[in-house]
Amino acid sequence: MRRGLPTPRPLTSAARAMSDGFGKAESGAQLLARLEGRSSLRNLEPYLFADEGFPIHGDVIEFHGPEGSGKTEMLYHLITRCILPKSGGGLEVEVMFIDTDYHFDVLRLVTILEHRLPQSTEETIKLCLGRLFLVNCNSSTQLLLTLYSLENMFCTRPSLCLLILDSISAFYWIDRSNGGESYNMQELNMKKCVKFLEKLVREHHLAVFATTQTIMQKSSSSAESSFSLKHQCEADVDYRPYLCKSWQQLVTHRIFFSKKCHSSNSKGFSIVSCHVKRNHVVKCSFSVAECGVQF
Amino acid sequence: MVILQAGLCPGLTAEMIQLLKANGIRTVVDFISSDLEEIAQKCSLSYKALVAVRRVLLAQFSAFPINGADLYEELKSSMAILSTGSKSLDKLLDSGLYTGEVLELMGAPGSGKTQVCLSMAASVSHSLKQNVLFIDSTGGFTASRLLQLVQSRTEEEEEQVEALQRIQVAHVFDIYKMLAALQELRHCMSQQVVCSVGPVKLLVVDSVSAVVCPLLGGRQTDGLALMMQLARELKTLAREFGLATVVTNHVTRDSSSGHLKPALGRSWSFVPSTRVLLESSQGPLGKASTQCIASLRKSPRQPTGIQVELDIGGYEALEERPGASGEEL
Repeated sequence: MRRGLPTPRPLTSAARAMSDGFGKAESGAQLLARLEGRSSLRNLEPYLFADEGFPIHGDVIEFHGPEGSGKTEMLYHLITRCILPKSGGGLEVEVMFIDTDYHFDVLRLVTILEHRLPQSTEETIKLCLGRLFLVNCNSSTQLLLTLYSLENMFCTRPSLCLLILDSISAFYWIDRSNGGESYNMQELNMKKCVKFLEKLVREHHLAVFATTQTIMQKSSSSAESSFSLKHQCEADVDYRPYLCKSWQQLVTHRIFFSKKCHSSNSKGFSIVSCHVKRNHVVKCSFSVAECGVQF
Repeated sequence: MVILQAGLCPGLTAEMIQLLKANGIRTVVDFISSDLEEIAQKCSLSYKALVAVRRVLLAQFSAFPINGADLYEELKSSMAILSTGSKSLDKLLDSGLYTGEVLELMGAPGSGKTQVCLSMAASVSHSLKQNVLFIDSTGGFTASRLLQLVQSRTEEEEEQVEALQRIQVAHVFDIYKMLAALQELRHCMSQQVVCSVGPVKLLVVDSVSAVVCPLLGGRQTDGLALMMQLARELKTLAREFGLATVVTNHVTRDSSSGHLKPALGRSWSFVPSTRVLLESSQGPLGKASTQCIASLRKSPRQPTGIQVELDIGGYEALEERPGASGEEL
C-alpha cells in the first residue's frame, strides 16, 4: 500500500490513474517529488505573515480591502518573489494565477521583474515568465470547471505550489441575482468552488492567496458579527464578511489592506495581518514605487 | 448552467443522458463534480466512455491556462497606446490611452467630461486614423461641436469628412440598449469581414452612470448584477479586442471623509483601472472659466495626485494654458 496517497482506495485509484489518461503513468521522479512535498515557500514574505514568517502548504490567505489599496500590487510582489531564479533572489517556483476580472497586467509585472533583476536580458525575463500560468474566468461556473481541469496540472507539476485567485468575489452580485430567492441557490456555485479548492489544497499541498473586495459597509449591529468576528481581530478594519460560510471557514490568514490618505511619512498603504485561529495580529505599512512594493 | 444534451460533445448519446438524468445528473457541472465510478456502477455505463466525455466537456467549458511568456509575446505585439491629442492629458495618463484597459473620467455636471471625450474621439479619429464608437446616453453629444474640433485640426474638407466618418455614434438611454450596443460591437469585431466602418480602436461610453443609477437603490440586487454584467462586458471587450475604453461617471461625496468619490458605489469602483477627476476651475473674479483641472486618482502605473490643467472651451485641442499646470505628489 503506497503511503501518502490521498484517496482511501489505493487499488481503484491506481486503476483510475491508468485508464484516466490523467497523465501517463507517473515516473519515479514524479512520484518522489509528490511524496516529498511541494517546494518550500520559505521566505516568501516575512512582513506579511504574523507567525511563522512563511506560508505553510495548506494555508489559505485572504487579501481584503477597498479599491486602490494595493492588493494587486502585493500579488505582483509575491509573484516576482516566486518566479525569479534562485540566483536573482527568488524561490524559482511556479505560480498559477486565476484572473476573474481582467485585472492582470503582464507589462507591469515585467517592469517589476526588470527592476529586481538589473542586468536581465529578454531571455531571462521570458524564463521567469515561463513559471507563471494565467487563466481568465468569466463566471462562477467557469471558475468551478476550470479548477477541475487544473487538477491535472497540479498533479504533474510538483513545483507549482502557489495558486492565486484575483478575485474570488468578482461574481458575487451576478450569482446572487441568478440564484433567485434562496440564499442556498445563490451561494451554490461558490460553495462548490470552495469545496473543490479545499480538496486541491489538501491533496496537492498548495498555498492559496485570494483577494476579496470590500463591497459592503461594515455593519454596526453586533448580531451580524457574531459568527466570524468573535475570533477575529476587530482593529479598525472595515470588514464585513459576505461570501459563503465555507469560504470563511477555509481561510487561515486574513490580511486587511487600507490606503492612508495624506500620509506625511510617505508609506502610503498599510496592512493588518491576522492569523484566524490564533488571533494574532501584526500591522505594517508599505509603499508602492515603480519597482513594486517596498516595505 | 449548461444542461446535458445529446450532441453536446461526441460520445454523449441520448441513452446516456436518459440514464444520467434518472440518477439526478442534469447539467455539465453535476456531471463533472460527480464520482465517475459510482455513476458507472449505478447507470451501468462504460467507465472509459464516461471518462472520455468528462475530458471533452472540461476542455470545452473550462478556461485554458496560458503561459506568462506567451502572454507577454502576444501583448507586446497587440498592445498600443493611443495619444489623446493633448500633451498634458497624455502626461497624466502615462503617454495616453492604453488598449485593453478602462479609463474612468469622473466629475460633477458641467466639469467637462463630454468635452474631453469628444476631443479624444476627434484626435483618435483624425490624427491616428482609427475608428471610434461613441455611446451616448445623456444626449450630450453634439455633432457640430465634434465638427469644430475636427476643423481645428485640419483645414481640408476631405480629411474632415473622413475623420467624421470614422466616428460611429450610438444613442442609448437604458442599460438594455447599452448592452445590446456592446453586443453588436462584439459581433462586429469578431467577424473577420470588415463591417461598415472597420475595427474600432476607441470605445467611449458617456455616461455609464446615467443608465446605471436608475437601477441602484432599494433592496433588490438585480440592479447591481446588471451593473456588474455591464462592467464585465466592457472589460472583456477591451481585453479581447484590444480596445481602449473611456467611461464617464458622476461624483458623490464620501460621508465620513468628505472627499469626492465616484458614484455607483463600491462594487463599480473596482472596475476601471485608471481614474481621473475633472473639476472646473474658477476663472478670475470667480467666474466659471473654460479651464478644468484633471487629477489622477487611480492608476496601475503612476503615483496618484498628479494634476494638470486642460482648456476645454476653446476651439483647439485640449491644451495646457501656458505656465499654469500644477503638479503634486
